[in-house]
Amino acid sequence: MTTDWHVDPGLLEQYENGTLVPSRVMAVEAHMLSCADCRGQVPADPAWLDGNWSAVFDEIHAPRVSPIARLLTRAGLPGHRLRLLTATPALRWSWLLATSAVLALAVVAAWLGRDGSHLIGQTFLVLAPILPVTAVSGAYGPPADPMHEITGTTPAAGPALVLWRAVSVIGVAVVMAGIAAVLLPGPGWYAVAWLLPALLLCTGTLALATSLTLPFAAGALGTLWLTAVLIVAGTTGDLFVPSVFGPDAQLAYLLAAAVSVAVLIQRRRRFDLGESR
Amino acid sequence: MTTVTLQGLGKRYGRTTALDSVDLSIGVGVTGLLGPNGAGKTTLLRCLATALGPDTGTIRVHGLDPAVAAQRTEVRRRIGYLPQNPGLYPNFTAYALLDYVAVLKEITDRRQRRAEVRRVLDEVELTDRARTKVRKLSGGMRQRLGLAQALLGDPELVILDEPTVGLDPEQRMLFRALISRLGERRTVLLSTHQTEDVGALCERVVVMSGGRVVFEGGPRDLAQVAEGQVWLSETPPQGNAAYWRNADGLYRTLGRQPDGAEAARPSIEDGYLLLLGNVAVTEAIR
Repeated sequence: MTTDWHVDPGLLEQYENGTLVPSRVMAVEAHMLSCADCRGQVPADPAWLDGNWSAVFDEIHAPRVSPIARLLTRAGLPGHRLRLLTATPALRWSWLLATSAVLALAVVAAWLGRDGSHLIGQTFLVLAPILPVTAVSGAYGPPADPMHEITGTTPAAGPALVLWRAVSVIGVAVVMAGIAAVLLPGPGWYAVAWLLPALLLCTGTLALATSLTLPFAAGALGTLWLTAVLIVAGTTGDLFVPSVFGPDAQLAYLLAAAVSVAVLIQRRRRFDLGESR
Repeated sequence: MTTVTLQGLGKRYGRTTALDSVDLSIGVGVTGLLGPNGAGKTTLLRCLATALGPDTGTIRVHGLDPAVAAQRTEVRRRIGYLPQNPGLYPNFTAYALLDYVAVLKEITDRRQRRAEVRRVLDEVELTDRARTKVRKLSGGMRQRLGLAQALLGDPELVILDEPTVGLDPEQRMLFRALISRLGERRTVLLSTHQTEDVGALCERVVVMSGGRVVFEGGPRDLAQVAEGQVWLSETPPQGNAAYWRNADGLYRTLGRQPDGAEAARPSIEDGYLLLLGNVAVTEAIR
């Protein structure tokens, strides 16, 4: 669109030089919006315009950063890692499920433990180590991640991606359980005694997943854990908690977890999200 | 130049043979993979995309062997893959989805990633939909977004599994134009049921049946398979010949010449149907 009236050449020159007062700059720009002739009089740098347009485009379209993501960025997590950890809906659900379940069980266990009833507290101890493993196994593969076929054929697919996701899920569960242990009444150690068994099950699952599918590995180790605890409970009765969660057992879990990590490192190249075995 | 070489590729699912000693070489340009349901097209593409490991045989992409873990990652850097069901996250915007896949494709620098996202959005003509959530995009736009994610990182080999299924004619035309542009300097391998796609797009066509390659050549060569075996008549042919009534009210028969029928110019579809025999004819008529 053009108009009959055009900006005075002297005024345009001052506009180009940047010597025009702000009120007149606004008037000139308002006119140029509707006058192609005057717009054409002002030289423009295409590269500069392109750069600005790209910056504006990115600013408008880039995904919103959540408060938690901002916090993690401040903690030093690179932006691209953050995208990997926060993008997968299934992963977010896994976080939510794991943390909610752990927290709820910790609360129940602590309150029941305060009244002298240990049954549910013991149940918490037995089941809690399985929760992070379930979350890890549920964060990958066809049922949980609809984009698994695309994800699995990208260069990022492999041990690094799986471990980043696993660490994030376990990390959230551990932090939440730690908060529960500090805040809740009763035997607070209930809320932390499951941590090393959970670590062993997670690392063991990941190590086993170098040969089996991740859900199958998680299912196998989870079943093995429950069976072992039931056998110990059957032979020791009320003493099963010290037997399974006592200092000696905790040391054994730590050593076994270290062995699992070593196996995982040794066989990491076999860990592939994409290629079906 | 050969981009992909397959030798003796085999894959079984239980008792079903999905791929049976497939030998194939594919170079720059658009190659169409044609075949009925269960022919092994998707299995072949999944093997090439490194989503599935073959039971037997070898795959080489630019000389790299995806069976070797370290080389597999390098192969993945060079391919873009659009699966039949891409499962794009419905609550993501087009921009956010591409940004995420760009990270998976190791484009870790934010500025570079954003420039790449803008480039592919522009390439598939979805720049004005960058802020639209995937669930609000039409089927055609979703397919173009799927193609855009495959193009991130400027891959040398683009693998597209049934990219035009479910698209209306206008969207299909747009998609064909996009794929055609891709094939100018990349190797594009696409599977399809549509012989029209092959005729419009592909410099080379590979026909599969029962897990085997039964034809390799140009689209014209495929049409030539039916030379002298396509007939038009005003009355339906007698016997068990495969025929159908066309838009002009004439009966188009494949095979032996019916009484009073005149020879017709064969199409790609005729060649395809004759090549595959009853399986394809039944599917086409259905």
